[in-house]
Amino acid sequence: MAANVDSQRPQNTRAIMGFLREHAPFSSMDDTHLAHFAEHATLRFFADGDVVLSPDDGMVKRFYVVKQGRIRGERHNEKEDRTETTFEISQGECFPLAALIGERPTRTLHRATGDTFCLSIEQDAFITLFSESDPFRDFCLRGVSSLLDQVNQRIQSNAMASIGSSNSLDTPLERYALRNPIVCSPDLPVRKAVARMHENNVGSIIITDDNRHPTGIFTLRDLRTMIAEEKGPLDTPIRQVMTPDPCRLSAQSDAFEAAMLMAEHHFAHLCVVDEDQRLIGVVSERDLFSLQRVDLVNLARTIGTATHLRTLISLRSQVSRLVDTMLAHGADSGQVVKIITTLNDVTVRRVLELNLKKNDPGIPFTWLTFGSEGRQEQTLLTDQDNGILFRTPEGMTEEQVREKLLPFAQTVNQELAECGFTLCKGNIMASNPKLCLSDREWDDWFIRFIDASTPQNLVYSSIFLDMRAVFGPTEPLHELLDKVLTRIRKNALFQKMLAGNAFQRKPPLTMFRNFRYVNDGKKHALDLKRQGLAPFVESVRVFALANGVETANTLERMEELSRKGVFDAKDANAWKEAYSLIQAIRMRAHQEMLDRGEELTNYINPDDLNPLDRRILRESFRQAQRLQQKLEVTYQL
Amino acid sequence: MLEYIRHWLEKRRGLKDGDWDNLPSPKTVGDQLLSEIRLIVLDLETTGLNPGQDEVIAIGAVAITGGVIHLDDQFDLILRRPDLDISETVLIHGIGPEALTQGHETEDALLYLLDWMNGDPILAYHSAFDQKFLEKTLKHQLGYARNHVWIDVADLLPAFFPNAQTGGKGLDHWADFFGLEVSERHHAAADALATAELTLVALNRARKDGVKTVKALTDKLRYHRQLQNMKRF
Repeated sequence: MAANVDSQRPQNTRAIMGFLREHAPFSSMDDTHLAHFAEHATLRFFADGDVVLSPDDGMVKRFYVVKQGRIRGERHNEKEDRTETTFEISQGECFPLAALIGERPTRTLHRATGDTFCLSIEQDAFITLFSESDPFRDFCLRGVSSLLDQVNQRIQSNAMASIGSSNSLDTPLERYALRNPIVCSPDLPVRKAVARMHENNVGSIIITDDNRHPTGIFTLRDLRTMIAEEKGPLDTPIRQVMTPDPCRLSAQSDAFEAAMLMAEHHFAHLCVVDEDQRLIGVVSERDLFSLQRVDLVNLARTIGTATHLRTLISLRSQVSRLVDTMLAHGADSGQVVKIITTLNDVTVRRVLELNLKKNDPGIPFTWLTFGSEGRQEQTLLTDQDNGILFRTPEGMTEEQVREKLLPFAQTVNQELAECGFTLCKGNIMASNPKLCLSDREWDDWFIRFIDASTPQNLVYSSIFLDMRAVFGPTEPLHELLDKVLTRIRKNALFQKMLAGNAFQRKPPLTMFRNFRYVNDGKKHALDLKRQGLAPFVESVRVFALANGVETANTLERMEELSRKGVFDAKDANAWKEAYSLIQAIRMRAHQEMLDRGEELTNYINPDDLNPLDRRILRESFRQAQRLQQKLEVTYQL
Repeated sequence: MLEYIRHWLEKRRGLKDGDWDNLPSPKTVGDQLLSEIRLIVLDLETTGLNPGQDEVIAIGAVAITGGVIHLDDQFDLILRRPDLDISETVLIHGIGPEALTQGHETEDALLYLLDWMNGDPILAYHSAFDQKFLEKTLKHQLGYARNHVWIDVADLLPAFFPNAQTGGKGLDHWADFFGLEVSERHHAAADALATAELTLVALNRARKDGVKTVKALTDKLRYHRQLQNMKRF
């Protein structure tokens, strides 16, 4: 029947429906709604540079989808008196949502880039679709974030599948240690309710009626909102400010249901009730995810107390499983890489400890890590970037110390390789005499590095600026870093060179916003690490070092830069999100390679991604371009 | 489309052959503004290339009004021609005899087409071909012989983009040059839409070149043709 209806539609209507179907949110919409769009659409052409929509046009009356070409948003930056591109909209994407929903003029000038065709519908057709199509309405109201949710859901469900049914999320809620929930009556003043929460050290209180049926919930977050928005005095009866009709599940429901419900509605507490809807407990997000923490803590402890290298090697597969689980629980990629790094640190420490037991060189040292490990951004594919920092004991020369430490380091590097940390091809390893240095030698090294760098050697050396101590006393490293940061802050030339270096690392987008593939014979391959993440890591590093941010972690650096006012808060969020999404796609690809028994690489073929992921990847790369633009302006590259 | 025509026929009941007063008159070239005028962009599929022997199989057309293609204003029809041997071109067009018999009475369809076109100027790619076929068909079927304004999009594009390296003069060359995606090539309606998209590109440039009226546009085309002829000799 459907095919018959479709064949009765004019060819051009069918063609437009076919085009729309390839793009979100239209891909989730019913055919009748797509047909309504196609039959009411107009097709407009804009040559390169033509204004499509302007703040001067008055209230927005039309909804556009790019059929071909690109639209860029322009905003005038008053401070720097120049025009900035705030966003780009390419094939299959829509605009202007906020202005149309808000029934106001657009705030951004929309300009065509290249020959551009747009399909558009008038306000009345838009309203029809908005009121009749759920996916369309959801998209219009929540914009791209509704698409991000779709991606996250898929990452989660894929990871779920690889965990199998033995997972702890099948545990019925009744088996969780349900605390005796803290309850109160609806008329209790907020002040007293909060006092009761404080006494019991909980984040939520359930409001119940005489039959112990939950009628509302009040959380610390509600308290925050109440105070921030001045909703009333603290004497207000709690029923006036509680969230009524709280979400509830039966004790037989499992943890997965609870987790999904929480994820879906973005709340952190659920009431658990019996058959008569009487409250028997509360489950918080933290309760559910603490199971995972137990696994993590257990695994870390097992690694940290292993007595043989053999055991350490066998434990590595559990790290991979844990990553699966974490992704399944909806942990974001930032959390996951930190967990991987934590477990890697434990492994490195244990390998060092076992070797010290067997063969102590007798000289205290600090084991350093550089690059991604230094930034706490390791994934499953990781190689060794390490070094040694020591203080030369009285009466010894630095060479004599090295004679003792280098054979030890050699063994450690080899054993780490057996645990899955690939030997560094560039020989950035502690067993390299050039990287096994005293505090004075490291300092000299950095002085030369900062004062006499050339753009060429900077490419290879910048990973030393992301440095962290994993084992041994940390004080010598702090002293070293302090000197290094001060020197960099004072050296504008070095900063500029670092910026120029970071600017070389272009995100893989062509002028026409297609993917630019790596140029080494691999057809249609993107290197998510070097092409995707590196532009963020390197640009952020420049800003961090120039502004005295000490942490090496890229996300933390961005947060700190936003706090210091170096980054606009909105920009920082967009960049963090983009960075995390590339990282998430990379980690998912790693998990899939592991499942297929393939060697891990950072290459992906964007053709293998679904259109939504491709679009999000493209948008993330574009954010990297914006970050680089900031670098360009700041350092006048 | 069938329902539209039935509905339309009911309204126009009583119309006799030769009763052309009830049909819109063809408009002439004048000072109509390109930014307002309605233009018809049309493409025909035929059984072959010879207007003397071959017949029209399908008519696809879209309307451009005020420089915008309105997809609620289009014409997409396969004519009923069951008596024809169409084996030669069937491969190019993908229209088999079954599809054809689902078409509509030719006279009804053509009357509706004339009414829908409203006498507005007709644009087509290599318009001489479409003009000959359509005029012949209208004459045979309806005895209709009024002259409409025809504009050739194949002339329009090089007139406004004289330096474009298209690698050829065909619709495909220009469509490729501007990166258009033609949904189903050699389908009358899809080709008409592609031609209309190219027309939008040319009209955009015309506006920037200060060409504002239909008259100015046809003058420019005539001048360009003369220039081409001079170059040839």
